[in-house]
Amino acid sequence: MMANSTSKKYDEHKSSMRLPGGWQLPPFGVHQILALAIVAVALWSVAVIWLALQGGEQWVGSWQDQVKVHVYVDESHASSVQALTDRLAEMDGIEDVRVVDDAEAQAWMEKWLGGGGLDAASFSQHLPKSIEVTLQEPRSETVLDDIQDAALALDGETNEDEFRLVEAGDVLGTIHNLAWFATIILGLAMALIVSNTLRMILLARADEVHLMRLMGAKEWFVRLPFILEGVLLGVSAGFVAWVLMWPLIWFTSDWQASLGIELGGWVMFFPLLLGGAVVGGLGAIVATANIVSPETES
Amino acid sequence: MSDTQPIIQMSNLMMRYQTGKVALSGINMDIPQGSFVYLIGESGAGKSTLLKMLYGGLRPTSGQLQVQGTKVRDASESQIRELRQNTGIIFQGNRLLKPRTVFENVALPLRVQGWNAERLLPRVKKVLSFVGLEDRLWSYPETLSGGEQQRVAIARAMLSNPSLIIADEPTGNLDDDTARHVLDLLMSLNKLGTTIIMATHDLHLLTSHPGLVVQLHQGALVTGQKDDG
Repeated sequence: MMANSTSKKYDEHKSSMRLPGGWQLPPFGVHQILALAIVAVALWSVAVIWLALQGGEQWVGSWQDQVKVHVYVDESHASSVQALTDRLAEMDGIEDVRVVDDAEAQAWMEKWLGGGGLDAASFSQHLPKSIEVTLQEPRSETVLDDIQDAALALDGETNEDEFRLVEAGDVLGTIHNLAWFATIILGLAMALIVSNTLRMILLARADEVHLMRLMGAKEWFVRLPFILEGVLLGVSAGFVAWVLMWPLIWFTSDWQASLGIELGGWVMFFPLLLGGAVVGGLGAIVATANIVSPETES
Repeated sequence: MSDTQPIIQMSNLMMRYQTGKVALSGINMDIPQGSFVYLIGESGAGKSTLLKMLYGGLRPTSGQLQVQGTKVRDASESQIRELRQNTGIIFQGNRLLKPRTVFENVALPLRVQGWNAERLLPRVKKVLSFVGLEDRLWSYPETLSGGEQQRVAIARAMLSNPSLIIADEPTGNLDDDTARHVLDLLMSLNKLGTTIIMATHDLHLLTSHPGLVVQLHQGALVTGQKDDG
């Protein structure tokens, strides 16, 4: 009868039983939930920075492997096309120069008109001759000015919007570096928050840690639950940050459509989980680097 | 007693703290396997220091201390861990973990050796039955009386079936009857072959439960010296 009762109680307790040490995760308390919320908000901020950068890159087209600009020559100056092409090909900082043929120009025109019943062929007859110029990476500082000078000299005309986008791409490069800087700073701050939370928990469980050591526990066995807790806390915060990112994507959908960009939330899923795991693990390692028990002090 | 292989050997054992205080000096003593040893002496005599040295909590400043074949002074961390795994400790004030159940507390010595709950359960039930607390498996320490808590501490110390149990004033806060009951349990363990080293102030227990008496005074051995016979 007693054995049955103990066995039944064992089954009841089995689900809530959390033996100390090893791979057993400690229970989540209010400190961990607070730390999770703070880290989630910080990770969300990082995600927003990278989303904005993603949108900016889509807008300027800097996701392309090579940047291309176009120089146009009016039909009345068609004789200048070859001279201009040759001049451009000789310039430093230019990867390739080609003249866009009429069929390609017509196809582009049809695509641009969107098949709305308009006669693309007749429109394309009025298009100027296009010279497509592929820029070398890393880009020479003077190449855009050189192209403009050559175009002016040989009756050509450059696409100013394209030039502005190329320059915006340069600014995005700087913003990209700043995004990394902000990510690292916020990452360190998050690791510090996790570390402080785990230090509080370690303090609360100092007796348990001390007892385990006195009973001959290996150091990894004592520290592993805290490392696991840090990683779990970080991963959970990453997941929460990812979920919180979607309302932002949905609320800005009209604005994205007007700019011709589409922010990809799924792309951020693994980076956020991995980022969370890294800051959580780092914080836990810092917190457990020096757990002192009375008998280990000397 | 002299025919038995000593489980503990001390030779010119000395312990000086970083503060300069000499806690133990010139201790020469062998403790045979299977003994029941009372460690007595006034507060500050060095009892707790000596007990801590027996499980590698403190290392001798000079001299030799060999416990269960491990030379404590020169032992590596892994040797100290192994020594601790083969030693049961009953702490002053029992040091049970309050947020954990009796099962989780008692399971600790084998848990740190990697045992899982399924494997631990029959073993924990067995030792709790030995101390008469098998029905308190899922209770929390705060719901137990002082005597029951001390019996849980004994169960925890005996779980890994160690050859040596070190008890630091296990009857300190208990009334006479409960103290006698706790001592009965330790005596039963000793009869099963476990060596018990127990620090105590309760000298009246020595008459009802006889054992080898080692007396310390100001860090030196008064009785129980190797040369005393």
